[in-house]
Amino acid sequence: MIATGRASYFLMVRALREAVRQPIVEISNIFIPMFFFAVTVGAIGSVAGRAFGVTNFLGFQMPVAILQAVAGAAGNSGLGTVQDIERGYFDKLMLTPAPRLSLVMGRLAADSVRSMFLALLIVIGGLAAGSGMEAGPLGFLLLIALAGFFGMAYAGFGVAIALRTGSAQAAQASFLVFFPLLFLSPAFAPKEVFAPWLEFLATINPVTYVLQGMRDLVLEGWDAGSLAGALAAIAGISAFTLSLTLFALRSRVA
Amino acid sequence: MTAIVAEQLTKRFPPAIDAVAGIDLSIARGQVFGFLGPNGSGKTTTVRMLTTLLRPTSGRAAVDGLDVTRHSSEVRRRIGVALQDAGLDDLQTGRELLALQGLLYNLDPRRVRERAAELLEVVDLVDAADRWVKTYSGGMKRRLDLAAALMHEPKIVFLDEPTTGLDPISRESIWRYVRELNANEGVTFFLTTQYLEEADRLADVVAIMDRGRIVAQGSPAELKASIATDVITVRIDGAGGALERAAGAVRRIEGIEDVRTVDGSVVIYVRDGSRAVARVAVLLEEQSVHVDEVTLAHPTLDDVFLRSTGHHIEADEHQAEAAS
Repeated sequence: MIATGRASYFLMVRALREAVRQPIVEISNIFIPMFFFAVTVGAIGSVAGRAFGVTNFLGFQMPVAILQAVAGAAGNSGLGTVQDIERGYFDKLMLTPAPRLSLVMGRLAADSVRSMFLALLIVIGGLAAGSGMEAGPLGFLLLIALAGFFGMAYAGFGVAIALRTGSAQAAQASFLVFFPLLFLSPAFAPKEVFAPWLEFLATINPVTYVLQGMRDLVLEGWDAGSLAGALAAIAGISAFTLSLTLFALRSRVA
Repeated sequence: MTAIVAEQLTKRFPPAIDAVAGIDLSIARGQVFGFLGPNGSGKTTTVRMLTTLLRPTSGRAAVDGLDVTRHSSEVRRRIGVALQDAGLDDLQTGRELLALQGLLYNLDPRRVRERAAELLEVVDLVDAADRWVKTYSGGMKRRLDLAAALMHEPKIVFLDEPTTGLDPISRESIWRYVRELNANEGVTFFLTTQYLEEADRLADVVAIMDRGRIVAQGSPAELKASIATDVITVRIDGAGGALERAAGAVRRIEGIEDVRTVDGSVVIYVRDGSRAVARVAVLLEEQSVHVDEVTLAHPTLDDVFLRSTGHHIEADEHQAEAAS
């Protein structure tokens, strides 16, 4: 366990160094969500109160921008893994005595840090524009931490695809899968105004709970049930993606 | 004591391709073992099994006395490996890459810094140590890859085609490091190559691999001596069945051991080549065969390969290059 943690730390540092040395990747990860954030709030913000009773649409949308940015960063993780495989560097790592789990955990931990950094930028932007933070400074920190946990959990999906296929195109699919999950959640309006079929899909969609947990920190303050739902959803996504990743890793030495 | 052992080691890929078809190896400590064969002969698959990257379909292998399947983690701790394509991270510097490698082998951070500095000097990369790997030439990458394989001071090192695609100067450098490490530190090398010269000059023992099987094994001198003949190669204008006519004619000469037709040439194995060459020339003249060139040579590893497999390794190399 110590060996796994130690090796994961070294590999996390390496993956973060890789991210710092390709700033254009992070710029695109932050630019697109911020653009949608601004456009959505500009287009719907003034009618959101009358249309579905959301008076602080800026705060309502901020977690959506965070999740978009985090999913984008997580998608890059799969691409990074594919590049390591294509260059033969992944084999080089597999040839070290580092526990195989650490080869995955190092990259996922780096994704968690990258996700928190992107979330931080978005929250600072949102606060500057007047979103507010009902849960206060601790809520602010928890919001960033939730982004990190979700980033780590979701990145496992891209890494699993990358390990299984070794294909950059396939690894990018993990980001595309996120869009249906986001649109099938109460991303742009409360679930209560959805048609029954959409409300049902939103109810069984784990992203709904992550979004709700984050949103409540911004709009409502502390809500233990909502936070527990968010953490449980992230834990569920983690368990699923990590299992896929370990299965894919095992198949590489078949 | 034995460094590497394989018994009936086999790797079958679906649907039924035997990339490695039951090979036996026994490599002594301190030996430079050359694994010679053309592209696709099964060399890399063998290396990947011996280094725990690929699970054998059947048979067994042990490295440093440890079974590669059951004790894979411990095997990895004891070996150094530089695979065919230098597996490096372009966005790290050479020094960072070596440091990470050392840390993953649980070396103390201070020892990591010292060892990285030592190896950068050994492989002549001190000036480039703090540049990103993506700025390195192919030869520099290979040298860095070799240094990475040596970070934890392994006593058994696998080098999979370490000089393929390198210029002669870089190739010579790699050979020098291998010789020095072998002579000074007793490191055992398992070296795959498709270059005859590399196997001939570096290896104490050579195994020749073709289509998943070992077709000959021994020291380069033993293998060449096993042919026990000189080799006359006659390049012929092959129009009108001249090649077959020439081969048929020379087979009748006394003392001829074997005759093969390969790539527009008749290759003749004969005990006393200097005496036979004149008779060959006269006989072909009588047969109205147009001869472009006649050469007489002592046997090379390529001749051993040709005798064992029926085709040249060099021709396969050229075909591979043409294909790429």
